[in-house]
Amino acid sequence: MTCNEFEELLPDYLQDPTDPRFRATVEKHMADCAECRESYALWSKLVTLPDVEPSPSMRARFDAMLNAYEEGRWEHDKLKEQRRVAAPSGFFDWFRMPAMQFGLAAAMLFVGILVGRSMMAPKAEPNAEAEQIAAMRQELSTTKQLVVLSMLQQQSASSRLQGVSYSMDVKQADPEIVSALLHTLRYDTSVDVRLAALDSLRRYNDEPKVRKGIVDALQSKQSPMVQIALIDTLVDMHERDAVDQIKKFQETPDLNPTVKQRAEWGINKLTRG
Amino acid sequence: MTNTLADEELMFHVRNGTGEMLGVLFSRYQSPLFNFYCKLTGNRALSEDLVQDVFFRILKYRQTYKPGTSFKTWMYQIARNARVDNMRKQRPQVEIEDSLLPVVMPADRAQQTQETALLHKALMMLPEEKREILVLSRFQELKYEEIAKMLGCQPNAVKVKVFRALKDLREAYQQLEASRPPRDNARGNDYDVQ
Ligand SMILES: [Zn+2]
Repeated sequence: MTCNEFEELLPDYLQDPTDPRFRATVEKHMADCAECRESYALWSKLVTLPDVEPSPSMRARFDAMLNAYEEGRWEHDKLKEQRRVAAPSGFFDWFRMPAMQFGLAAAMLFVGILVGRSMMAPKAEPNAEAEQIAAMRQELSTTKQLVVLSMLQQQSASSRLQGVSYSMDVKQADPEIVSALLHTLRYDTSVDVRLAALDSLRRYNDEPKVRKGIVDALQSKQSPMVQIALIDTLVDMHERDAVDQIKKFQETPDLNPTVKQRAEWGINKLTRG
Repeated sequence: MTNTLADEELMFHVRNGTGEMLGVLFSRYQSPLFNFYCKLTGNRALSEDLVQDVFFRILKYRQTYKPGTSFKTWMYQIARNARVDNMRKQRPQVEIEDSLLPVVMPADRAQQTQETALLHKALMMLPEEKREILVLSRFQELKYEEIAKMLGCQPNAVKVKVFRALKDLREAYQQLEASRPPRDNARGNDYDVQ
């Protein structure tokens, strides 16, 4: 028997060496053929490659994603319950947004399912169609939200940066996204990502949580660039409540001189203007 | 008792909108999937991202799961797609660098033998599709029939692929063994994590 005839038999033997249908044949060939013997030895050795433990943050990331999904779903149900009909105009604008490349395939799948569903459903109420479109929009914005949340968790800074820029497409201050952006603003390892998160958050400057988050982000451990951007943002937002925090911050020993100057400027602006 | 339910039952509930059931599936498969990707890519951080992506896709594509079919096969199908999409996005030179990085971080360094390190290197030298077939059949406890379904071929074709991948692994291993300077035996830490 040649090795080539062995191509299917050896793998069978690998999965179940006790099976009498091929055991004798295989073991006889291996006794004669060093190469197949070595293949078998390597196969056995493969299990000695140790397993790797996933880090606990994997679970946390998953839970955050699942929460976002559940929340979106709950809102979706609530919307259905209220029978609120949103205007269908503007729905297709969403597709033109260039940023939504990632996740668009998934969104299309959703649309496919929803459209399929609506086509099969008998037309009963006159409002039914508009309602379905509203449901579709809801489902899509949930997908978008999931995309943003998941991208903010990515390992590569460029992906997170993309996630932040996608968050710009989410018009309303979504609590999950706001929390994620605030977390990014404070803890992200990349300055660029932190600055982008600040830009995205500025749009929600009516939200008390956002205002507070921006004030809190101003602390000694931040990079000078972000510190300056934070001060400028607080001035833009006329956040008078921040004056005390900026004053305290200004007293930090070894503070970058440019930042110190900027803080001084900010305090003046906020107390006078 | 959700944690005694079969994968397929859990996924059936997820499909019908009970998302929290996915948490049980995550507990079951985060580690096997993570190890699948680590052995495939040689990169821990990338593997974590890919695992997240898989569960993200499971939620998104939940409607495409056919009740009654094997969850595990479906999940690995998604996992393979996620990897393919990820490779498309990545620059090739990053890819080569990544695949050269040893992945494994054993808890007990004393136990790792030079042989294991060599075997790991040999595995990482294979083209990814060959490595994949070995990882799927050896580590993920998938039957040839299940792999065949995922790959869209006959079980016999899978067996041939396994045989040939193993042959390539053997050749890579022997080549490494021959080129290894004898004094290198003393060095234990070229098997470190990236
Ligand atoms: Zn042979």
